[in-house]
Amino acid sequence: MSSVAESDTSLWLHNKLGSTDDLWSAQTICSQLRQEILRNAHSCFQDLQSHVKLKFLLSFLHLPRRHIEQWKSELDEIVEMAVGDSDQWVSVLGELLKTFASTGTVNLDIEENSHLFAEVTTELKKLCKRSSDSGMLPLECLVLNKTALTAAVGQLPQTDKHFALKRKPKSAALRAELLQKSSEALTSTKKN
Amino acid sequence: VKLISDAGFQDEIKSVSTVCQQIEVFSRVLKTSVCSFLEKGEEHMKEHLPEFTNMVCHGEHTYLYTQALLSILAQESKGGSHLKRLCQEINKCATEKGHDVTPVTLALSGSASYPRACGALSAMLSKNALNPADVTVLFKMYSSNDPPPVDLIRTPQLIELLTEALFCPNSRVNPDHKSKYIYLLAYSASVHETHKKGVRKSINRDELKQTSQAIEKVSGIIFENKSCSDLICEVATLYQCIRFPVVGMGVIRWVEHAVNDPSYFQHNIDHTPLHIALLDEVSTCHPMLHPRILELLISLFESEFKELDVLVQLELKKVILDRTVHLLSRGFVIPVINYLKQCWEVKDTDVSLIRHFVSEVLDVIAPPFTLEFVQLFLPLIENENITGSIRTENEHDPVSEFIAHCRQTFDDL
Repeated sequence: MSSVAESDTSLWLHNKLGSTDDLWSAQTICSQLRQEILRNAHSCFQDLQSHVKLKFLLSFLHLPRRHIEQWKSELDEIVEMAVGDSDQWVSVLGELLKTFASTGTVNLDIEENSHLFAEVTTELKKLCKRSSDSGMLPLECLVLNKTALTAAVGQLPQTDKHFALKRKPKSAALRAELLQKSSEALTSTKKN
Repeated sequence: VKLISDAGFQDEIKSVSTVCQQIEVFSRVLKTSVCSFLEKGEEHMKEHLPEFTNMVCHGEHTYLYTQALLSILAQESKGGSHLKRLCQEINKCATEKGHDVTPVTLALSGSASYPRACGALSAMLSKNALNPADVTVLFKMYSSNDPPPVDLIRTPQLIELLTEALFCPNSRVNPDHKSKYIYLLAYSASVHETHKKGVRKSINRDELKQTSQAIEKVSGIIFENKSCSDLICEVATLYQCIRFPVVGMGVIRWVEHAVNDPSYFQHNIDHTPLHIALLDEVSTCHPMLHPRILELLISLFESEFKELDVLVQLELKKVILDRTVHLLSRGFVIPVINYLKQCWEVKDTDVSLIRHFVSEVLDVIAPPFTLEFVQLFLPLIENENITGSIRTENEHDPVSEFIAHCRQTFDDL
């Protein structure tokens, strides 16, 4: 591997991913990534700027599955370097992507290697246990049939009853009227 | 900045890029925000979501870090579902900002174990559009004897796309493939699985057939594009099918679509146009859809209807308020009263409309009242401008009786 190729790759990555204005541009390099670039990038990774490292790592998420399978060892090597990086964002991202090339999933078992991640997770877990029922449910719950809903989130608490009803609102009469009209319309359609 | 953060003053650090620079500061601010969402619930979350997602979506790395952390917490048996919702709201905001977050979502969902399903989902979610080929892939997998987990297709974005395709009459679903769209939506809404130690033990499809049939019937009615007068024949069928929550949601989408047509209220001169009346049935059957219905009613109430005569406009707004009274009678009390109170405070609503609302409410409610309700409602009732003209001198009228009852019952007022 020539050092010219490494510096070319480093320059190329900085050109493509160097902007600090857009930290979502990782996927822009996906169509141009090649196995050779990944090999070169491994050698120059340490010298890249932190935000370029981050975006480069994130581009892996946007690669087609077949490329991930073909380039697995190159991707793993870069991720391994990221894990040992002195920038904490880069090393955490490395941890999160550790299993990505082999399983396609984010590695959530990083608590041991990232004390910050562990600290926040543990404290929030404690808080979850103490949390009251705030009625915040996943969005899909809105369309679930009752049995599927109960299976997903358990029984829902009763809502407060703010008053009694002394009679039904006007909407009840409207409903009855619509049903009446509907049955009349159906009868006349059948007759015709 | 780190010193400010170390001292515990996360709220004082306002600049997003400053917060995001150091992972330590970012993590603490993240923790403080998530704590408050857990403690204070949905209203608080909605209010603070824009600033929170600005921070989370600062970069793709902050987004991935946050979603990874929240997805671990979403597994917790207590409080986990609140955080799953938070994940979804962040996902929605990021998508609205134009970021393609599908790869992160799928890499966190475990869908990689089902590469074909994952490929199909990825293609559709990234483009935010369905296509028959990928729907067919999913349909085949989910109609097999060993389908992937239901959670894979139970994602809000896919449900939204399927609902739109089946309930908005301007969507162009190829009729040859429509039954597959229906099947997937019904599957997602009705199937549930039992797990033991992380292994799926059984799949319950008992309600799949009837849910599919209900979606099919209502979608069929909608795509026939009937006028309100022709639709009247279908009322009983619609009422029956609305019992399924997924159809209830679909009907809301349909009504939204219908009333967005500027000429809708010119053509439908009935006192209460049928589409609007259908919302009552959805309110009756599905308390969870109440916020969505109120949102639609508010947007209608605040529309100008310039093409209609002023008196007709007022009548129409009363019809919309009657729907809010119905919502209130079905238990969605505080948000409805809060909205009307806000209308009064902002002073941009004709007082006759607020008067109409309070007298309709007084007409149906009876004690015992909660203090929370009384504290919100009583100021509207006591206001001379609103209720002066419907009170009588002998105080034997609903307004005076309500005030007297509240004053007697609640010492704190």
